Amino acid sequence: MIDVEDDTCELRRAPAHRERRSPLTLPVVAVLAAAIVAAAGCGSDADDGTAGAGTDDAPTIVATTTIWADVVDNVACDGLAEVVAVVPPGGDPHGFEPSLRDRETMENAVLVVANGLGLEEGLADTIDSVEASGVTVVRVADAVDTLRAGSNTHADESADDGAATTDTDHDTDTENTDDHSHEGDDPHIWFDPTRVATAIPAIADALVSAGLDPTTVEGCVESYTSELVALDGDVEAALDVVPPERRLLVTNHDSLRYFADRYDFEILGSVIPSSSSLAGTNPRDLEELARVIEQTGVPAIFAETQYSAADAEALAERVGDVSVVTLQTSTLGEPGSSTDTYVTWLTTTAEQIAEALS
Amino acid sequence: MEFVTSPWAWWVEPFTDNEFMRSALLAGILTVVTTSLVGTWVVLRGMSFLGDALAHGVLPGIAIAFILGVDTSIGALAAAIAMVGGITLIRRHSPLPDDTSIGVLFVGFLALAVVIMSTQQASYVGDLNRFLFGSITGLDDADLARQAMAAGVALVGVVVLYRAFLVMTFDASLARMLGLRPALASAALLALLAISIVASFESVGNLLVFAFLIAPPAAATLVARRVPMIMLVSVLFGIAATVVGILISYHHDSATSATMALCSVALFFVVLTISAVRRAHPRRSRSHSAGEPVAAET
Repeated sequence: MIDVEDDTCELRRAPAHRERRSPLTLPVVAVLAAAIVAAAGCGSDADDGTAGAGTDDAPTIVATTTIWADVVDNVACDGLAEVVAVVPPGGDPHGFEPSLRDRETMENAVLVVANGLGLEEGLADTIDSVEASGVTVVRVADAVDTLRAGSNTHADESADDGAATTDTDHDTDTENTDDHSHEGDDPHIWFDPTRVATAIPAIADALVSAGLDPTTVEGCVESYTSELVALDGDVEAALDVVPPERRLLVTNHDSLRYFADRYDFEILGSVIPSSSSLAGTNPRDLEELARVIEQTGVPAIFAETQYSAADAEALAERVGDVSVVTLQTSTLGEPGSSTDTYVTWLTTTAEQIAEALS
Repeated sequence: MEFVTSPWAWWVEPFTDNEFMRSALLAGILTVVTTSLVGTWVVLRGMSFLGDALAHGVLPGIAIAFILGVDTSIGALAAAIAMVGGITLIRRHSPLPDDTSIGVLFVGFLALAVVIMSTQQASYVGDLNRFLFGSITGLDDADLARQAMAAGVALVGVVVLYRAFLVMTFDASLARMLGLRPALASAALLALLAISIVASFESVGNLLVFAFLIAPPAAATLVARRVPMIMLVSVLFGIAATVVGILISYHHDSATSATMALCSVALFFVVLTISAVRRAHPRRSRSHSAGEPVAAET
């Protein structure tokens, strides 16, 4: 019987002498070498693992986006808690992947506030995992009347193909009450301050359950709710300059549905007919959309800061007489900028829309 | 240089303080075991291109499984089988070399996956990111259990089929003569490869699992001679890369799977350098050097 082990196992052209060292010593040396090489490249000292512990008194609350972080910060006003956002300003909540550090921050928080409805696609199972390990998670969309996500509504009417999803009636998007499943609904609820206001009590309840002082929270709720009501009025006033026949929205992604619902605009359609940033364009729908834009004479397509507007720009060029206006749709500006709170952000966004369409 | 100045805080505390870090480490180690055991054979048999093609070619299977509401692992395995079947088919019916048939199927499957996903809307597409890069921050017990099972299957498979793999790698006709059924063993190896790819989705993700299939075993072949030792050294190298990768990712807030993959490749180059230097300057005397002299492996 041929003994296979001896001869066929020699993988290398053997040097003249035998190695005397165990092959296991090299891995140990290699580990240290690799660590030195890799870590030496990183100049700054990193924090050690105490991130997320918050200040000495204030507990930490984690929100997914900067928008919700600001809202929660106002409900937990007066420094009741330290609120941090996982997705940084300018980041994209659809595609954001959390790091181990982010996980640690969430783990050490007393409460996690998420939008829900699939907005934070990359964070979804991390949030589930954090919830499973005992941290309370509030998904704001659960407390709000949501709208079904739809594709190009006008395009649906004329094209009428089976491939288009959901509703074909445009101005009367079906509202879902809390009885129905919210599965598949549009997640961009923060574009409607009245809806945000209806979610405040749920957030407040969660804060109180997490140990924040109920009386203070109640005071915060009252003052912030009236702020939101005032915001709603201001936005409506800013949009007054846009006449009814111009209240048409063409967007890059399907992100302004709730804005349209609240302020009497009509969604003509989207370049990328999905509320997810990761979907792609469809030439036939684009054709339809171009035709509709030409027919109605709408002057602007609204793109988002965090995604490429290439498709929108190509469409605008083709149709002609259409400008592409970029909006911040799912994030606040950097701290210190003119859009670093929910109120200032929505006001600025409304003004941009008004200017583009009037 | 905190990892030198305050080693306990840098190396140990992140794991003692945080359960999710321990889970991440466990997932990483299980991935390393699975991929090292199988990857050793991938490297020895020169199957790297096929390994990469399989890793990415499972995407349409996942896409279809997701649409049908079936477990994505099943879809991935089905796609792997389809790809291997396709390669075998092309091999049988044309004189084309293997890397051409692999290449054609690889790109075909990828394109198919994108087409399928483009017909879907909204939330499904987001999962693509998680498949590509893993979701080591979102592990649950079910994920870890699945990985442990895959590691177990890989271990059993590699042990049971050791002789068959060994002989067919170095002398296919000898394997046939000895009744070791190389065709069947080859198929079994591909099955193990598919399993190791699918099992690593959560920890390193689909894009970078290839780093763990190739780099630690390749580094191990530079250092060890016998195949069982190669597998063991590969696992050790892989664990080293995983530990360092997770820690660097934690301390410097970098993408975890990519950092781990980079570490495994960096480790390969370190080992390559050291082994190249040692070969250029062989020891002429029997004097001691770093580490104890051990009886030569035979």
